[in-house]
Amino acid sequence: MKTTKLKIAGILFVIMTIGFSFTMVNKVTIKGSDTMVILSQKWAEVYMKKNPGASIQVTGGGSGVGLAALINGSTDIANASRPIKPSEVEKLKARYNTLGVEIPCAKDGLSVYLNKANPVSSLTLKQIGQIFAGKITNWKEVGGPDAPIKLYGRESSSGTFGFFKDNVVKTDFSPSCQTLPGTAAIVNAVKKDKFSVGYGGAAYAEGVKDCAVKKDDKSPGILPTAATIKNHTYPITRYLYMYLKSRPTGEAKEFIDWVLSPEGQKLIEEVGYYPLK
Amino acid sequence: MKKVIVAIMVSLCGIVSAQEVEKDTIKKVSLDSLAKTVNEHSEKLAGYEEKFSGLEAIINELNKIKVSGYIQAQYEAYDTWSSDGTIHGVPVSGSASYEDNSFYIRRARVKFTYKPIDGVNFVLQPNFEVHQVTLKDAYVQLNDRWLNTFSLWVGQFNRPTYEIEYSSASREFAERTLMTRTLYPTERDQGAKLEADFVTQYNFPLKLQFAILNGNFGEGSLASQAKDVDNAKDLMARGVYSLKMLNNSLGIDFGAHTYLGKTTVIAQTTPPTVFSDVNNNPFTPKVGDKLKKDLFGGELQAYYDFLGGMSLKGEYIRGTYSGTTNAAQVNSLFNANKVRNVEGYYISFVKNVGKVNTASIRYDVFDPNTKMSGDAITSAGDLRYNTWTYAWQYFFNDNIKIMACYLMPINEKSQNAGADFKGDKHDNTFTLRVQARF
Repeated sequence: MKTTKLKIAGILFVIMTIGFSFTMVNKVTIKGSDTMVILSQKWAEVYMKKNPGASIQVTGGGSGVGLAALINGSTDIANASRPIKPSEVEKLKARYNTLGVEIPCAKDGLSVYLNKANPVSSLTLKQIGQIFAGKITNWKEVGGPDAPIKLYGRESSSGTFGFFKDNVVKTDFSPSCQTLPGTAAIVNAVKKDKFSVGYGGAAYAEGVKDCAVKKDDKSPGILPTAATIKNHTYPITRYLYMYLKSRPTGEAKEFIDWVLSPEGQKLIEEVGYYPLK
Repeated sequence: MKKVIVAIMVSLCGIVSAQEVEKDTIKKVSLDSLAKTVNEHSEKLAGYEEKFSGLEAIINELNKIKVSGYIQAQYEAYDTWSSDGTIHGVPVSGSASYEDNSFYIRRARVKFTYKPIDGVNFVLQPNFEVHQVTLKDAYVQLNDRWLNTFSLWVGQFNRPTYEIEYSSASREFAERTLMTRTLYPTERDQGAKLEADFVTQYNFPLKLQFAILNGNFGEGSLASQAKDVDNAKDLMARGVYSLKMLNNSLGIDFGAHTYLGKTTVIAQTTPPTVFSDVNNNPFTPKVGDKLKKDLFGGELQAYYDFLGGMSLKGEYIRGTYSGTTNAAQVNSLFNANKVRNVEGYYISFVKNVGKVNTASIRYDVFDPNTKMSGDAITSAGDLRYNTWTYAWQYFFNDNIKIMACYLMPINEKSQNAGADFKGDKHDNTFTLRVQARF
């Protein structure tokens, strides 16, 4: 009798486990990278027009915020302009027993913005890193005029901040680097200040000039253009990612498949980024 | 009529010109007052800017402090019976009576982390209990800022094993295994730990940990845990490597750890206390003698993305362990004057069910005396336990989860280890827990 009850309980347990696992949701929420907000909104808008029953909600907040929301279950997809950190993967393992799913969905170049009146027009990656780390503090140290360098950057929750720190600065940012909320604010600040420098998406560089970046002293300076970003010759090139807790199903899968389709990829250049192929 | 019309037009002109004059006056006055207002606002803005910069400095300082914590409130029912069936429940501390169910605050912890500069963390975590406040974590963590690889921990922190470092706030079962609770009592110890994590800087998924510890935390009275009681330091080391396969849908972490320590005999009674060795033969140690406490373990955790994620985790530990009943050193789960060969392992399976449910099952074994079995065992403390644990978790939101957990320990049977253990003692426990985390 006891064995029969246990068997029934066991069968029910298995059925419930499998049944709940197939639960589908039609509404898809996307949160994260501010860099990707406009792109994601564009994707969502066009996708919902084509699929009137679908609901895709997009919000920003920064890559770190999006990944935290993915871990705590408040978003289905996290947008990130940097790769997920090992500590974030550990949290996914603990909560969802997965490593997460990484989907590169576009390419972007990080531009180093200079004021148009600044005579400096190219820098090596090392020099840029040293400038933002506060080790080079005067333009004359990199062949410019004798004037102090004013630094502008993003908040630490930003994926752009994380990517630039990990790949260019490679140490802590200088305490004198003024953080601004968004790339547009950085562009505006650099536009007004002749001896300032900032960084952000290549598509935002309006009213400022892009610094040509050299891999090292011997390499030529490369400007962030569609061609150099697509073929990765521009040294500060990155992928833009979507992250999910586990393999996508239902509406989320259909949306992601569409984003990666030629139709979805075609929209990327309209908002200033670059398709995967 | 014409005269009337001309008169009206002239007067209108007068009004119009009068208005113009009036307008001019207003314009002048307006400009003056506008300039005055702008000046006032500029001064106010400058004042606010000054105030804000002061506030910003305070906020920046406060931003260096992070406060987190969790409360676990639970209802427990003990299906525990004495061998003759006359007593139901577990003894009530400090009383002769027994309880078969109770509400219980298992955890009430607040964790303060202060990050004065990049690469330095101060962590303080007290645990609030009904009758006392105890210190759980208190350490300084120094991260190397050059290689982003090494970190040094000094203070009181978790011993480096997988099951211990996996927070009880995240754990899928109500309690850790009997093996871990016995061999590493209260999980923590005081000392210094050096960690090397090669994944951030070198993208090489290897983590190494080395620790030097007092070795007596979780043993004896709280007062005796404040410092080392025997001067001898215990060593721990652990290494974990992570693999990703099948397009990242399968992740496997595997590793090993060791604990190299001693139980020092710090006092002897008159007449001298007799200990028993690994073969249960008596011996009488002298003050200063060091009894073996060497453990070696392996671990594996596999994560697979199948219908929402699942994991299979296991650890195996074996070695020689020693205990004493000396009040300054006693381990409540290894409470005897003895040296034993011990062995234990667990296997747990966890499956995420939909977005907000998790089902888990665990089988764990702990044998505190591998050299003897069955009726040869004369003490309940030497009996092997095989335990099944079933749990279901429901995540109400990011902060709150509810867990139902059923624990079924099955003891080794002996005719000579007390009446309760001639058969499988009835000692199952059901736990219904609400956890709030912030």
